[in-house]
Amino acid sequence: MRLLENGGDPATPLESLAGTNQSDVVVEMPGDTPFETAADIAARASRIDIRFPKFRDGRGFSLGAMLRERAGFTGEMRAVGDVLPDQVFFLKRVGFDAVAPEADINDEEWSQAVNAFTVVYQPAADGEETAIRKRTAPHGDQDREVQDRLKKLNERYRGASAQDIIKAAWTELFPGRLAVMSSFGAEAAVSLHLAASVDPNIPVLFLDTERHFAQTEQYRQTLTDKLGLKDVRIIKPDAEEAAEEDAKGDLWRTDPDACCALRKVRPLAYALDGYDALITGRKRFQASTRMRLPIFEYLDGRYRVNPMADWAPEQVQAYFKEHDLPTHPLVDLGYNSIGCWPCTQPSSDGGVRSGRWAGRDKTECGIHFSFGDAPGKVRRAG
Amino acid sequence: MYQYDEYDATLVRERVEQFRHQVDRRLTGRLTEDQFKPLRLMNGVYLQLHAYMLRVAIPYGVLSGKQMRTLGHIARRYDRNYGHFTTRQNIQYNWPALVDIPDILGQLADVEMHAIQTSGNCIRNVTSDPYAGAAADEIEDPRPWCEIIRQWSTFHPEFSFLPRKFKIAVTGAAEDRAAIRAHDIGLKVVKNDAGETGFAVFPGGGQGRTPRIAPLIREFLPVQELLAYLTAILRVYNLHGRRDNMYKARIKILVESLGADEFRRQVEEEYEKIAADGSLALPDEEIERIRGFFPPPPQAESAEPVQFSDDADFALWRKHNVRPHKVAGLKSVVISLKPIGGTPGDATSEQMEAVADLAEQYGFDEVRVTMEQNLILPHVREADLEAVWRALADIGFATPNAYTATDIVACPGLDYCSLANARSIPISQEISTRLDKSGLIEDVGDVTIKISGCINACGHHHIAHIGVLGVDKKGEEFYQITLGGSHSDDADIGSIVGKGLPGEDVPAAIERILRAYLATRSDGERFLDTLRRVGEEPFKEAIYEAA
Repeated sequence: MRLLENGGDPATPLESLAGTNQSDVVVEMPGDTPFETAADIAARASRIDIRFPKFRDGRGFSLGAMLRERAGFTGEMRAVGDVLPDQVFFLKRVGFDAVAPEADINDEEWSQAVNAFTVVYQPAADGEETAIRKRTAPHGDQDREVQDRLKKLNERYRGASAQDIIKAAWTELFPGRLAVMSSFGAEAAVSLHLAASVDPNIPVLFLDTERHFAQTEQYRQTLTDKLGLKDVRIIKPDAEEAAEEDAKGDLWRTDPDACCALRKVRPLAYALDGYDALITGRKRFQASTRMRLPIFEYLDGRYRVNPMADWAPEQVQAYFKEHDLPTHPLVDLGYNSIGCWPCTQPSSDGGVRSGRWAGRDKTECGIHFSFGDAPGKVRRAG
Repeated sequence: MYQYDEYDATLVRERVEQFRHQVDRRLTGRLTEDQFKPLRLMNGVYLQLHAYMLRVAIPYGVLSGKQMRTLGHIARRYDRNYGHFTTRQNIQYNWPALVDIPDILGQLADVEMHAIQTSGNCIRNVTSDPYAGAAADEIEDPRPWCEIIRQWSTFHPEFSFLPRKFKIAVTGAAEDRAAIRAHDIGLKVVKNDAGETGFAVFPGGGQGRTPRIAPLIREFLPVQELLAYLTAILRVYNLHGRRDNMYKARIKILVESLGADEFRRQVEEEYEKIAADGSLALPDEEIERIRGFFPPPPQAESAEPVQFSDDADFALWRKHNVRPHKVAGLKSVVISLKPIGGTPGDATSEQMEAVADLAEQYGFDEVRVTMEQNLILPHVREADLEAVWRALADIGFATPNAYTATDIVACPGLDYCSLANARSIPISQEISTRLDKSGLIEDVGDVTIKISGCINACGHHHIAHIGVLGVDKKGEEFYQITLGGSHSDDADIGSIVGKGLPGEDVPAAIERILRAYLATRSDGERFLDTLRRVGEEPFKEAIYEAA
């Protein structure tokens, strides 16, 4: 949390940005700005100043929290205006990086206030572990180390470019123990291109569920060739398990969770030996379950690196254009997210993942959950 | 009862140190009173008419003997040997020196207590049924949920600067003894058809100048979802509650202006988004950990009928102040802090220490504070009742008037409070003395009388069968009488009857109301039922008869 003198440097008022489509804007908005308006601007802002007209007006706390949690904003966020030292702890917790008060800053007073408490009860954008989490997931020393490392990594790489994150993960954080997980789906070209630009030797894991569209198979070839990927590993379900659990080949119809477990979750678990970290292409805007997606996570003994967590849909489109990347053949037919053929259909409402498991109360296959939490019956290897 | 773990204890200690630092800055002139005000208010320190006042949180009204003894000790060492129990199940000290308050908070922290969020526009101390864990009509003990809410609301980063203060009440019993529908959020523990526990949710109630009974917006909320749903309500309120007019800033105004259906729609929409993330879902493990601190009540060693002595005073006290218990052989005892002609809710250091001793000796180490400003020993063996009664009589705490017309609730009023328009305590003393002399108490039975010294309604006059509201008219104190309020399952707001009376006329007017009731009632009819049947006219006539 930084303290800025004299109200900080000025930002552009929200109203003068209406109707423009500038990107990387530095914008100031009042705390009572409707969330939808704020979120629209956040998608193209590098810094947002939220103004507190009076210290009593706490709307900026909710707006800030929602920009972090719901809009996935990862740029700099400042509280400006009538802010008290004793509010700084709360501001930091809901996701502000800096405070630029109107009042004179007495350093001692303000810096003590930032660190007033070492215990928190509520989950918030600062990622501090709550008392409940500490109680219910008592960590051994090793887990404690992981938690500390995650916190440091997420602080260090907040706002960093996806390429820098992948580069750091491959060369510095997990050398030789990192792979990219890819579905070769609608947006896959971006993470694969980013990875290949760092090093085409980074292994790419593809889960061949044996239920993919022919177009996906064809697209995998195209991308592998075009990007010069040197190490694409194809992972199939265990043949014996498949014969036993899905003899008729229609498990997707009767129990899609079990089908995902058989064809995605377990094969991945078997294939992960030898890796400490996986790069995924997940983004916060894709699903309600991904709103708080951090850059670094830890799941079942492995790190997950989500270098594009804060990307907006427009950024994905722009990246395709800029690097002249081929699109998945099904995208032109209206598919925004592409999984296996039985459980994917064109998106009806423009929602990125609305065509996945359409008509069912399911949004995730389970490979991004802890094995214990994945939907359906998941059996651990061994 | 709940016991702090290292996290709870650390947080409270850190708060004491933070406040010590703030007080030091004030005393050495580095902070002006204006700069200090928002800081002290977040910790229950008010500047009243004569001195600073410190309000200490008694979470959901539950105290151990040790905690009660500490409250008595603080009154002796730092105040004028007494404290005042409030309608919000808290205690207030009226005369502490500012320089001592950090030490007081330190002593409170030693016994796992604090003054956090007892003032300010934040989520205040959660209140509950004073018979929690003892009541025969209980569906489930509400205290674990109160404790979960206490922790979640403590230093909430998003909800510490709300449009106005915010009060949550929880009950787990069939009968509502916590006035949940007169709170910003009322929660009632319910069971669904599958036998699972959940909450019925009532937001938007309140007293003050715009009294409202909260509507039901959720019939069944699974318990794991409690914090996600509360967060949704608070977020809608924080973003959309009025901030332009402090008298229209409570959530009841927002709920009313949107309408319950639209408010529900907004909350449910927000809740869907919050719940999808899952980070606020309560882990069963944590629910069970907290429940473990509230075991079922003790068993009486013997459920044999007890032979009581034939002392008439003891019999009268048993009639009013001893309440049924869910365990055979146990009773709950109401300790009346309403001596005839006394100050409602006051207790001296000696009285507090004696109650602490009784709790430890006869009450399984538990005391409760009630919104009627009395104390309760929730679990007492029938065989010990006489000993308890004698000990209470020795300290002047055995007035046999619980839930009768002399069990009057009154705010501190103009004797202490800087907001008050009129005195409350002297009026309540005069009413109490007059009604006691009238000999009507036993006959009129279940009548509640509550007095507020201003429209802020700390004395709960809106939800009294007979309410008295002090108003200022051109520099003179007048009192309006309201009739027909109730805090219970038939919750209602009393309506003002006619013009205000001068203070000296109020006690006689109230006696006449009670006489009118006795003359009008059918057999076995409570005051409230008679009033609802015949309307206010006969009572209005009685009030103004002499004028």
